[in-house]
Amino acid sequence: MALPPSLRTSITPLELELVASEQLVEIVPLVSMERTAFISGAYGPLRPPTKCKVPLWMASNLKLKKKCHIVPPAWLNVDFLQERLLRETTDPSFSEMPFRFAEVAKILLDVASDDLQNPDRIRTLLKDIREARQAKSREGLSKLDHNELMLPNLCAMEINEIRPFFVRGMNVLTQLTREGTQADAMDMS
Amino acid sequence: MEDDYYSIESILAENQKIQCTFKIDIPEMGHLDGGKAGDLKALTKAQIPLWMAYIIIFSDYADFTVPPPFSARVRNALNAEPRSVRLSSQVGQGGLWYGFGRMIMNLLNDNSAKELSGVLTTTFRARLPEVIDQAQHFASLHAAAGPSSGDAGAAAFREGMDGTERELFQLAQDSAKKTKAWYETSERGRR
Repeated sequence: MALPPSLRTSITPLELELVASEQLVEIVPLVSMERTAFISGAYGPLRPPTKCKVPLWMASNLKLKKKCHIVPPAWLNVDFLQERLLRETTDPSFSEMPFRFAEVAKILLDVASDDLQNPDRIRTLLKDIREARQAKSREGLSKLDHNELMLPNLCAMEINEIRPFFVRGMNVLTQLTREGTQADAMDMS
Repeated sequence: MEDDYYSIESILAENQKIQCTFKIDIPEMGHLDGGKAGDLKALTKAQIPLWMAYIIIFSDYADFTVPPPFSARVRNALNAEPRSVRLSSQVGQGGLWYGFGRMIMNLLNDNSAKELSGVLTTTFRARLPEVIDQAQHFASLHAAAGPSSGDAGAAAFREGMDGTERELFQLAQDSAKKTKAWYETSERGRR
């Protein structure tokens, strides 16, 4: 089974979302559930109103059926994101963000915006952070080298977005520059 | 652009002719010079396709000159402003300027090869941000966007991109489009 060309170079964002959904989040359940075994592990028991940690896919499922409230993770609030945005705009390097923040934030904003404080402000902040980081990765592009390129603190969705053309660009540069060093090697032998 | 025998890109890149001067007489090969029968005399100039020129030069039957796409004039233009040079007009529409340059590099000796390698890499690095910028700009517009998008300079750059740059443009545009589409669906309550 061959992949179409567009899928050969990177993963789709939906797949990244699926992978990110394995992360545990805290919920306040509204129904009871026994300790149940799922493929990825056993979760529960759910005893309202005690908080419990479950995977994100399960949390979003329950939330859609109105069977729980989701407790937002520590980084998904206005203050934290504002501080990160400030750091993003002042520092030339990428600031530390949770690796899958884009996916987790999107899911939570989709299903649980009523559990978050100030969801619209959070959306704007996330968008600003994303744009600031995009500008930085664009600068990193001009430093493209055929050997290596370090962009620390880049997150899953961003890596996925730049991977195809970064890798191809590095390939091209390798082919264009290799000749110089190879000629040296042949010279010395 | 690999050295792979089966690489379509290198086959296409080799599909260019370069000017060669034969050093010895070659019997029965006069037709290479364009329709004349008989022998090919020494010191005749002929346009030979690159894939044949490779063997002829390594067997020391001919010398060649650096072809027009890499002449001093082009190099000067690239030094001045890499993004304004139209690479596609150098090697024909859909041509591979970088690929061709690489093939020529294989034929040259060390110093000129290093110099040409430098020219190629500097040009590539200078043009790459422009390629990616345009790709991301086009990713945000839907496919129906017509000639009204982009100013004349941007459109001219797009015309002048060589084959490799077009491929990168395509990749960047695809990935940007997919990511953007994913972010867009975030606003609707699709679940």
